[in-house]
Amino acid sequence: MARYLLRRMNLFVATSLVLLAVLFIATHHFPVEIRFALTGIHAPTVEQITQIDQDYRLQSNQFGQFIGYLQQRLTGNLGISATSQQPVVDELAAVLPASFELAIVAAVLALLFGIPLGVLASMSKNKITQHTIMTITLTGYSIPVFWLGLTLSLWFGVQLGWLPISGQLNLLYEIEPVTGLVLIDTLLSDSPYADSAFIDALHHIILPAVTLAVLPFTVVVRSTRSAIISIMDKTYIKAAEARGLHTSHIVLRHALPNALIPVLKNLGLMLGTFASYAMVVEVIFSWPGVGAWLVSGIYQRDYTVIQGGVLAVALIIIFLSIMIEVLHTAINPLSRKELYAAN
Amino acid sequence: MRVLLKRLSLYPAIYCICVLLAGCGPKLVPPGIVYCSEGNPESFNPQLVTSGTTVDATSQQIYDGLVSYDIKSAQMEPSLATDWQISDDELTYTFQLRKGVNFHHTQEFTPRRHFNADDVLFSFNRVIDSSHPFHHISKTGYPFFQSIGFDKLIESIEKRSDYEVAFHLQHKDASFLANLASGFAVILSKEYAAILSEKGEPEKIDREPVGTGPFQLVKYVKNDYIRYHRNEGYWRHLPTAELLVFDITPKSTTRLAKLITGDCSVSALPKAGELAVVFQHDELEVDSLPGFNVAFWAFNTQKAPFNDVRVRKALAHAVDRDNILRAVYQKTAVGSTGMLPPMSWAYSKNQSLVDYHPEKARRLLKEAGIKNLTIDIWAMPVARIYNPNAHKTAELIQADLAYIGVKVNIVSYDWSVFNQKLSLRNYDSVLIGWNADNSDPDNFFTPILSCASVLSNSNRSRWCNPQFDDILFKAKSITSKEQRKALYQEAEALFAQELPMLPFAHATRLILKKKGIDNSQLTPFGGISFNADHHRDMMNVEEIK
Repeated sequence: MARYLLRRMNLFVATSLVLLAVLFIATHHFPVEIRFALTGIHAPTVEQITQIDQDYRLQSNQFGQFIGYLQQRLTGNLGISATSQQPVVDELAAVLPASFELAIVAAVLALLFGIPLGVLASMSKNKITQHTIMTITLTGYSIPVFWLGLTLSLWFGVQLGWLPISGQLNLLYEIEPVTGLVLIDTLLSDSPYADSAFIDALHHIILPAVTLAVLPFTVVVRSTRSAIISIMDKTYIKAAEARGLHTSHIVLRHALPNALIPVLKNLGLMLGTFASYAMVVEVIFSWPGVGAWLVSGIYQRDYTVIQGGVLAVALIIIFLSIMIEVLHTAINPLSRKELYAAN
Repeated sequence: MRVLLKRLSLYPAIYCICVLLAGCGPKLVPPGIVYCSEGNPESFNPQLVTSGTTVDATSQQIYDGLVSYDIKSAQMEPSLATDWQISDDELTYTFQLRKGVNFHHTQEFTPRRHFNADDVLFSFNRVIDSSHPFHHISKTGYPFFQSIGFDKLIESIEKRSDYEVAFHLQHKDASFLANLASGFAVILSKEYAAILSEKGEPEKIDREPVGTGPFQLVKYVKNDYIRYHRNEGYWRHLPTAELLVFDITPKSTTRLAKLITGDCSVSALPKAGELAVVFQHDELEVDSLPGFNVAFWAFNTQKAPFNDVRVRKALAHAVDRDNILRAVYQKTAVGSTGMLPPMSWAYSKNQSLVDYHPEKARRLLKEAGIKNLTIDIWAMPVARIYNPNAHKTAELIQADLAYIGVKVNIVSYDWSVFNQKLSLRNYDSVLIGWNADNSDPDNFFTPILSCASVLSNSNRSRWCNPQFDDILFKAKSITSKEQRKALYQEAEALFAQELPMLPFAHATRLILKKKGIDNSQLTPFGGISFNADHHRDMMNVEEIK
């Protein structure tokens, strides 16, 4: 197992290096002065110029420059934002929690509703139930997220007036960021309005989370269903049935844990898609996360923000993909066996 | 296992339902105003900018000037100066200053004294004296003051006592008081500046502002919000709102949606087409004020072929301005006959501005020997008071010009990039406008059409005409309204003859708000105030009298 983990680590490092190399090359192709693209400093003074040249080894050859670039980026120096003149790392740290919060809530929603519905679709003998579930998931799978987001905010926000449609919280609530996750911060806050703020935050997250959850939800339902169907044909299930176990016991105890392994794999494969969906959702609902931040950075030609945002998002995706793979291997006896065979 | 699973799913479910039910009950919200604004301020010191977005976020909220305009009557009224006298030769203005005015008390700064003459000297010397230690802290200069030649106008500022200052002018200037009342002439704290330079971070003075205004800045998150707290030591009547938040929402439709869903209570700059939606909602209302602004299409007169007046006129003849008024403004603007809006006392209907005449346009182009012309029109990416939708305007012009065989590319960037690229001076033409900062007619000419304003980049047509400058200078140096009006009409005539830019509309200023929010108020010359109460109180007193 240790060797396996080491190899995954290796993969992570190698992929990240390729990513950094791509960013490094792209930075040199931005239509601005290279020092500005690297640091975000508008009109550097003479001392600043020498400092930048030294930090990024601008006098040496391409490879030397790449090493300088790596050193700066890996020590957490992402430059300063060209528009706000604040360190990009700080801005990133301010927007990342909001994205995580949205992603976690959406993931919980997708799994909480997706798995039971997938089981129901596979176990149901009723054609109408089956077809209804499959139709709904196929529809959900094919609806463009930007349309869905706008439609939901039009119905529930503008026409019915039930839910707020933008931001994380009514801005009149002053909540000190502790964890950066507004739902938790409002509970931790000692403001007299903390309870109301929590409810307000909950209301704010409903529409974006539901919009974002639709795609993973349909993926979960469909892959759970097909996994359960194939597992229910397996001999060990037959054996359990023959021993007279209750169906619900068979499903929960024997079928579902095994069925979740391919579900996990499917989710892992779609991480990139989810990330781009999340960006669209953040822009539609003005959610102050990394996606909205990156998109506004692109509009404002804020090259340091673009690099920082792309780096962060891509690193997170690479990291999560590898984590899911490790998890997949860890809980899947079959792939563990393959692992030993490969070693 | 089954029992466990049941419990596991039961508790969150119950909890969620409870919370949702609780959510239907009345929510406690801190008392305050959320204003949906249209963009990020570039700085927190209006001395450094000319952009209305920054003025909205600073002038009326964080700062006070020496004098100001009364919100209702648009008359000059005392602010930090309680009284002022003008010498007989009109070259010396003496101001008596208000006593007991507190500066903001922030986390970084605890004021140890009240506002006094030193602060006035500091605030203005910073702008006019290039050897002042804080002068070069601003990377963008002081565009409004440079464009009106403020540094050349003022000979010196004299501190007569702690509560009296005198401004000595080089020459007469009838617009001097009006310029002091504009949102750019704010008073900063000298004590704060001294502390900052001691700490070695003087640039904070524009980023973490300290002023005497009704609200103080607490937090600014770019692209997201600006939060202010009430200044508990405010010298005027305290604002009723304890909190003021600017919710930065660049899209006009999103601002409207936020207003409907209650995320904000006041919303800036609606597009004309959205007013119909507002009228469908009983809880919303529209505040309007006749506009003291002008929207124009400026040609870069230092670039060929726009240096040829025939080309400029040809392009102007080809544009159906009535159509723009109909399609872009939809009855929320009046057509312009020159730079001055009908509201101005120097206005008189000007017949000489070009008419819509595509044939003439073709003829003029032929005379100038121009064939197959392709031009760029830069359209502002954000809604401004004077033009709610520059992109649509550009499209209409594009169609009109296609009719006379001129091809148009529409160029647009995000606002900050747009501004930066404009100052590179290589654009063909730009759709932009000007919102007056004070009531003086000079404000429509000197800041945007004089030679000085070419240098400060606020003259978008980059047109410098000594004769025009002469007229403006003459008009400023006399005080008789009749004579001044005649001179401004002369300037308008020369402008129409040379046509460095094509003015097309004076838009009505609009703001959307929830009914019952009565502490926000549009101010007559740019900016929005969220401390309208003190004005109402003053009026009540007068009514009782």
